[in-house]
Amino acid sequence: MTTETVPTSVKTRRNWNFLFALTLVGLLVLLCVALSIATPNFATGNNISNLLRQGSMIAILAIGQTFVIITAGIDLSVGAIVGFSTVVVASLIQSGVPVWIAIIVTLLMGLLIGFFHAFGIVKMGLPPFIITLATLTSLRGIGLLMTNGSTINITDAGFNQFSRESFLGVPNLFWMVIIVAVPAFVFLHLSKWGRYLYAVGSNPEAARLSGVSVPRMIYIAYGLSAMCAAIVGVMLAARLGVGNATQGDGWELQAIASSVIGGTSLFGAVGSVHGPLIGAFILATISNGANLLNVNSFWQRIITGALIIIIVFFDQLRRRSR
Amino acid sequence: MGANLTDLSSGPPHPAGQTSAAALPPHDIILELRDLEKRYGHVQALKKSTLSFRRGEIHAIVGENGAGKSTLIKLLTGVIRRTGGTIIWNGQEVDLATPNEAINHGINAVHQEVVLCRQLSVAANIFLGDENTKWGLLQRREMSRAAQKILDDMGFSLPADALLGTLTIGQQQLVATARASLRGTKFIIFDEPTAYLTRQEAAQLFALIRRLKAEGVTIVYISHRMEEVFELADRVSVLRDGTHVGTRNIEDTNDAELVALMINRTLEQIYHKEEIPFGKTLLQTRNLSGKGFNDVSITVRQGEIVGLYGLIGAGRSEFALSIFGRNPKTSGEILWKEQPVDISNERKAIDLGIALAPESRRDQGLNLNLPIGLNINLPVYDQLMRGPVIDSGEEKRRADAQIRDLQIKTPSRRSLASSMSGGNQQKIVIGKWLNHGAEVFIFDEPTVGVDVGTKAEIYRLFARLLKNGAGIILISSYLPEVYELADTLHVFREGHLVGSQSYRERSHEDILAEAIGV
Repeated sequence: MTTETVPTSVKTRRNWNFLFALTLVGLLVLLCVALSIATPNFATGNNISNLLRQGSMIAILAIGQTFVIITAGIDLSVGAIVGFSTVVVASLIQSGVPVWIAIIVTLLMGLLIGFFHAFGIVKMGLPPFIITLATLTSLRGIGLLMTNGSTINITDAGFNQFSRESFLGVPNLFWMVIIVAVPAFVFLHLSKWGRYLYAVGSNPEAARLSGVSVPRMIYIAYGLSAMCAAIVGVMLAARLGVGNATQGDGWELQAIASSVIGGTSLFGAVGSVHGPLIGAFILATISNGANLLNVNSFWQRIITGALIIIIVFFDQLRRRSR
Repeated sequence: MGANLTDLSSGPPHPAGQTSAAALPPHDIILELRDLEKRYGHVQALKKSTLSFRRGEIHAIVGENGAGKSTLIKLLTGVIRRTGGTIIWNGQEVDLATPNEAINHGINAVHQEVVLCRQLSVAANIFLGDENTKWGLLQRREMSRAAQKILDDMGFSLPADALLGTLTIGQQQLVATARASLRGTKFIIFDEPTAYLTRQEAAQLFALIRRLKAEGVTIVYISHRMEEVFELADRVSVLRDGTHVGTRNIEDTNDAELVALMINRTLEQIYHKEEIPFGKTLLQTRNLSGKGFNDVSITVRQGEIVGLYGLIGAGRSEFALSIFGRNPKTSGEILWKEQPVDISNERKAIDLGIALAPESRRDQGLNLNLPIGLNINLPVYDQLMRGPVIDSGEEKRRADAQIRDLQIKTPSRRSLASSMSGGNQQKIVIGKWLNHGAEVFIFDEPTVGVDVGTKAEIYRLFARLLKNGAGIILISSYLPEVYELADTLHVFREGHLVGSQSYRERSHEDILAEAIGV
């Protein structure tokens, strides 16, 4: 190997990755600039706050989802967990449980649902798609049974207020993204757990023969994904002031889309924390802009679909060229 | 040397010598390659090679990894297109631009990895793309009957109705061969066909190859195994660094000459063996039994290579995996440095200092689509954590140290393991365990699919490990390898140790007889 050719090829690869991240940020900036020009209502403090609130919930779901996808799995249940969590937290608060306990119980319940998924995968040998599809429909059913199909109003003003307030000019809900994303980044990119997740997604047998406990990593990934969904459920309950089992419908697909737009590979072992975040806010901006421009909301779905195809196609070109 | 020796090591063809003098009329040449060339950008994968193949001959092609064998196969099967030169098929100039064109001419290949549908039956695979239909409906029963007849005729005892996925890899390989030899095939390329075959399956395959030859089919046989080349081939061509360096009649050459042509190195230099004094006892098993093996007692000392020889499925790998905590033992004892230990999972084995370089690098040894550095550090991340995060400086240093020490040919620790050649991948596996400071290394078939040059390199690595106080368990179904390298040799048959002897007390024939049980 000649030393001259060596650094160039590495540099090219780094540049490609860098370029891809840049393209996503660029796309987000471009969208914002275009919308600021196209409509006077976009670049207002009110609208930006609103956009950040909209995007933050899918962003947190996307982070959790990414952990699972990196292990070459999928978590279809997150939308249902969101809806179910709103019911759990709302009924706990309404029955007089202190808010902080209600929140902790809800998050733990999320974690347990995730562990149940991992149990199904590790012990029962079910495909991730199947076990999470099953809980998707079951959790909605349980939530509807608990509420008899109705909505629980949350009367705790402080709980509801949290979602509307801002800290340092930034909506609290967006702060939640940062509170989740920073430890998530450390976990995935800076700790051994992250390396193990990639190893399990890339080749579980090789990971196992290198001393990685594959079942433990599956428990961690699905537990974190479901817990992220429970966090979002609490956020949504606060934002709407209600608990309702039908909330969060289809959010699992938005979370997966954000993750994939952010460069996560559905084949596993490829993905980051920052990519899905940007992905989620790209989707939120498109939806926000479409509302402001009075574009039929049906179009948003079509645009999202087209975007997934285009971005993933270019991402694959990038990988192949490597 | 005979009159029909064609040595075409360089430059333009010399047409007179090309057809091997008067002994062969021109129509006996079925395929002729003139100055064939393939370049990818600046890289020349195949340099102006001139080769000819006779009707009904078995023509072996040997060469190290990267010598251009795969490029040649791809060119002949139309997977890639040449960038220069001429291809003459049956006296006509042809293009071979697409796989279909190659198949239509009657050129077929059996690849090292089976490329068939595991979920379909054997019969469906044999007729894939050429189904027997009546009014648009599949004639399953007739196809199954026809397939069974084909298989029986070929002497393969395989059920035509079984799902392909339920067969062993070796049996699947035979199905692929059956498929390739149908439909008026005149030219079949076999790429390392015996890599996953048992001895018996290999014998069936060889019988078929000889029959195809008798029917006038031309066979191109690519293999790393010299004894197969000498058993089967009529002629052998050697490629080195993308160049055709010579063709020999098999009776005019020997393995020493071929190896010299391939690498410019002699056989003695390949099996690198140093006399290293044995040190402390590292690992012992006492009457160890488990799934697939029974009552096995071995001892591994520092500086010692313990060879485990036997046919595939004889229980060697199962035994090794059990030492590594993969398959729990059912009875017996494992001792580590004279102390009884309980190895109930991989982590415990790794923490003691046992390393496993598994049989299949692709499926078990490596995380192929991850960086080399991550692969090397995977067993040691526990040690790399500083509080909640990894010490990234140490992570880099450790990866780079192994890449440098083992001379892994990579631009960077960030390159993906999949971009490496087989030999370099094996080095990554070794580097992973050196990094962890293992003391007993279990190598399960470390040189399958690895070329001679890399083999020599791996054997030199063994010597280095031994000198550093490690012990090695070497599992191999390649007798010369264990015979030349092992200090103590254990022979497995049907899960039992049937013979144990120290270095070179017995002949090859004795050991083989023991393993087969005759």
